Amino acid sequence: MRIKQRTVRSAVSAVAIAGIAALALAACTTSGNAPQSTAAQGGKVTVAVVNDFTSFNNQTPQANLDTNGQVGYLDGSYGTGFQYIDNNYKIVHDDKFGTFKKVSDNPMTVKYTLNKDDKWSDGQPVTADDMVLAWAIASGHYDDATIDPGTGKVTTGTQYFSIAASTAGIDATAYPTVGDNNTSITLVYSTPYVDWELVNPIAQPAHIVAKKAGLSSAADLTKLLKGLPKGDPAKPVAPNATLLKAAAFVNTGYDVTAFPTDKDLLVASGPFVVSSWTPGQSLTMVRNKYYAGGLKPNVDTIVFRFIGDANAQVTALQNGEVDIINPQASADTLNALKNTGATVLAGDQASYDHLDLTFSQSGVFSDKAVRQAFLKTIPRQQILDSIVTPVNPKAKVLNSQIFLPNQSEYAASVKGNGSSAYDKVDIAGAKALLAGKTPTVTLMYNTKNPNRVDEFQAIQASATQAGFKIVDAGSPDWSKKLGDGTYDAVLFGWISPGAGTSALPQIFGPVGSGGNYNNYGGTGKLAVSTQTMTNPSDVVKAENQIDKQTFTDAYGLPLFQLPGIFGVSTNVTGVKYMGNQNGPFWNFWEWSVKKATK
Amino acid sequence: MVSFILRRILVSILILIAASFLMYMLVAYSSDPLANLRSSSSPNKDRLIADLVSRLQLDVPPPLRWGLWLGGAAKCLIPFANSCDLGSTISNAQVTDILPQALLSTVQLVTLALILAIVFGIMIGIVTALRQYSGLDNTVTFISFFLYSLPAFLVAVLLKEFIAIGFNNFLRDPVVSWFWILLIGIVVGAIWQSLIGGEARRRLIVFAISGAGTAVLIWLMSATGWFEKPGIGPVGMVVLIAAIAIGATALMAGLQNRKALITAGINAVIAIASYFAMQPLFAISSIGTLIILGIVALIVGLVSGYLVGGYDRGQNLRVGAVTAVLSSALILVDRAMQAWPTYLGDVNNRPIATIGSSTPNLGGDVWVTGIDSFTHLALPTVALLLISFASYTRYSRAGLLEVMNQDYIRTARAKGLPERTVVIRHAFRNMLIPLTTLVAFDVGALLGGAIITERVFGIPGMGNLFSSALGPGDINPVMGYFLVIAAMAILFNFLADLAYASLDPRVRVR
Repeated sequence: MRIKQRTVRSAVSAVAIAGIAALALAACTTSGNAPQSTAAQGGKVTVAVVNDFTSFNNQTPQANLDTNGQVGYLDGSYGTGFQYIDNNYKIVHDDKFGTFKKVSDNPMTVKYTLNKDDKWSDGQPVTADDMVLAWAIASGHYDDATIDPGTGKVTTGTQYFSIAASTAGIDATAYPTVGDNNTSITLVYSTPYVDWELVNPIAQPAHIVAKKAGLSSAADLTKLLKGLPKGDPAKPVAPNATLLKAAAFVNTGYDVTAFPTDKDLLVASGPFVVSSWTPGQSLTMVRNKYYAGGLKPNVDTIVFRFIGDANAQVTALQNGEVDIINPQASADTLNALKNTGATVLAGDQASYDHLDLTFSQSGVFSDKAVRQAFLKTIPRQQILDSIVTPVNPKAKVLNSQIFLPNQSEYAASVKGNGSSAYDKVDIAGAKALLAGKTPTVTLMYNTKNPNRVDEFQAIQASATQAGFKIVDAGSPDWSKKLGDGTYDAVLFGWISPGAGTSALPQIFGPVGSGGNYNNYGGTGKLAVSTQTMTNPSDVVKAENQIDKQTFTDAYGLPLFQLPGIFGVSTNVTGVKYMGNQNGPFWNFWEWSVKKATK
Repeated sequence: MVSFILRRILVSILILIAASFLMYMLVAYSSDPLANLRSSSSPNKDRLIADLVSRLQLDVPPPLRWGLWLGGAAKCLIPFANSCDLGSTISNAQVTDILPQALLSTVQLVTLALILAIVFGIMIGIVTALRQYSGLDNTVTFISFFLYSLPAFLVAVLLKEFIAIGFNNFLRDPVVSWFWILLIGIVVGAIWQSLIGGEARRRLIVFAISGAGTAVLIWLMSATGWFEKPGIGPVGMVVLIAAIAIGATALMAGLQNRKALITAGINAVIAIASYFAMQPLFAISSIGTLIILGIVALIVGLVSGYLVGGYDRGQNLRVGAVTAVLSSALILVDRAMQAWPTYLGDVNNRPIATIGSSTPNLGGDVWVTGIDSFTHLALPTVALLLISFASYTRYSRAGLLEVMNQDYIRTARAKGLPERTVVIRHAFRNMLIPLTTLVAFDVGALLGGAIITERVFGIPGMGNLFSSALGPGDINPVMGYFLVIAAMAILFNFLADLAYASLDPRVRVR
């Protein structure tokens, strides 16, 4: 009897539970058709990159990072558009996107004309309004701020757009002339600008920036810009509230920590647009269906995967999770990569290590003979063999202060610049130059960088043989000490811009220039004069001259370029080595996938 | 008690403030966020340096800057005001935005590893203690110490090479060779005979049966293409669910306990019935559905245990719940296996991943994404598990051995209790007390992320946040990381003290 009752009770509770469960379940199911994974047509290429993405505008000081730049290269906000830089550091025009040419040398005048079919990824046309905005951002035309160099705070006036690049050169342009039915602008430079060919007046979409500034259209933004006077730090005026709003959006509005809910941030003019981003994991870019320029890609999708560890990149390639990797180059990584069966592309990076001597009156290197003697003891080949050759067996010692070996000007410049005097270690020659003196050389380098430590030890061993006394001034704070006169020679690295000459007046400019830490005055005037040259052959001539002068004056020695390696899956073709910050992405439109994968 | 808690909280806050000062000074004085810019050849280098100095207030001396940081961090204590300000990174991301993302990744990674480490560690500890100085004990001790001493990156590389790449290559042509079938059979046989123990004859029989059974099973799996289309199948499900019911009863109540056996039986029958009935529902399930089903299973287990009754209802409840939950888990595993071929197609037949925690743009239903999480987290979880479970085996082995030698165990045996009851009821519970401290410490420490494991497996967790921010001297994320870690360490130490007091009547907090 009791058992029966219990059974009934159980049955009742079972029914009750079932009922509640059914209700709850009904409220908590998805539709029957599971979404299918997207089918591939042109295929997908997955690229491993080291750092996460942080901003859709990579041209601000805080967002000027490698991955942001690569995404910008693909979405057209930086580095592509009217031109791009190829793997020989040549500027290549993309005439399908738009044409630009110098129409006059005096005053220097450059006209940019857009292709009429150019559209942003939201379907809006690319117009002169966009170019005017890009010009306003790049030129700093409206800024009238005076900035305290110590604290970086604006003391008077207004700084509108904050950009990572220098305004030098473009700041000499007046408000552009708009023409050809709002598809062209003409920039007139009051002083000629040598790197005019690198100026690309395409950045953020004007219609989006206008919207964020509270204006109804891109034309209104252009009208506003046209009406505002050129800023003058000597006579600051009250800031324009609308332009401030627009600038605030461009400066920080594109910085993100998660995939934006505001789709306006994704709008781009390039061949690809960002379609999803999982912070720390992956970022996906798909074709911009409105793109009408010349860099039409073969593949449909490019996925960035963020993998910081070089060995993890190699195993991910081996396991088919990524197709292209660009890990930090080391002999171990290269060996691991060779074992995977992937294609290995090795080459030189745009950054190079160099030895600079300090030219102060009282210093040990005020005497040219001592400088020459010291440089003769530098075992450049030995340094290269110990640091670079294990990764890139084809690497050669860098013999020019100006050019990189894959630039067409390199060979001729090396022939005439006198670098051959320092090809081999010449202890006897150094001793002869020293004539019995035993100068003490304080050599500074970065103790945190194992390459620099190796370089120091090699130089120390070699120079001591010639009678030099080398004082170890290695420091982890080396960068703070640059140019402070506490050392006689320094080992560090520059990143060559490849295309463009903006570094020339910095490094080889007159004493006191930003990058001239050596008190070197031998090439100052010439280096500054390059910035206003209009004829490319004059520029090359000046560069050759600077290159030669530095060797004649025993300024220092370039040592080697850092090696770089790409690993490419056999499933992807068209990838070529490139040494600058765009890495494997530089020719993304040439990539194709052999076997379409999901 | 209240005054103890208040005192602890007050002291904890002071410790936190002092430690944050120390940390801030160490980071601020040892790294230079401007180093990269200083050696730049950009024409506007000075402008860029000035910009960063002004954004990160680098012109303020570090002790004062710490004061500013502390002021922002203190706002986190205001409830619901959402005014927390932990500063921003060099690339202008708010630390309060990136910290939760990193914390979530870490929790996702370490939770399972921690639970498995505890479960396996204690289980193996018990087994080795009960078979003290046997071949099994010595072998397990050797292996666990060996794994304990391996560096994380090496474990990671080995796992990637052999489990991920090796298994994925194996899947191209999933036929197990005779050599491997025999080897696995022998190893499994050796493990079982050592576990069961007894005389040589009994061991030999156990070895032969378990070894041969395993070998035949693997041969069948290989021959029928099971690795491409895995599944348990109706017969397998019935057998396995029955095994769960009997196992749960045997372990928790003893098979002679009829009421427990009936409870387990009822749950097994319900589970088998729902296995067949629920398949259409599973096809349209979301994660919410599965959670509800899990809760329902738990309730069904408890209710059935309660209704069956008997002299020990509590025991029945446990047996019911364990049977129901484990059988449900088995049903889920079976259903997920059905989605395996679809998933294989999505990832080009290379399922086990070496990086990240999901396949980008995967799509698919809850089963496919579930498998995706599994294939991505499998390796890092195993890596963490292998390294961390050794300490649990040691502690639980030592703890159980100590308890088993106590007088009350002899008394329990003397009054005729079965060995199962002596071990599970009298020894096991007391052995767990010292382990609470260890678990509390580990939870606090694991939230700090596993710096190396996260880096080699590309998981953007707390450890990754810390290590990637420390390099360039990005102080605010480092401090955000520190805040979470320090608070967790203090909190879990505190909880361990409280738990100890409530578990062990000999300890009093005053």
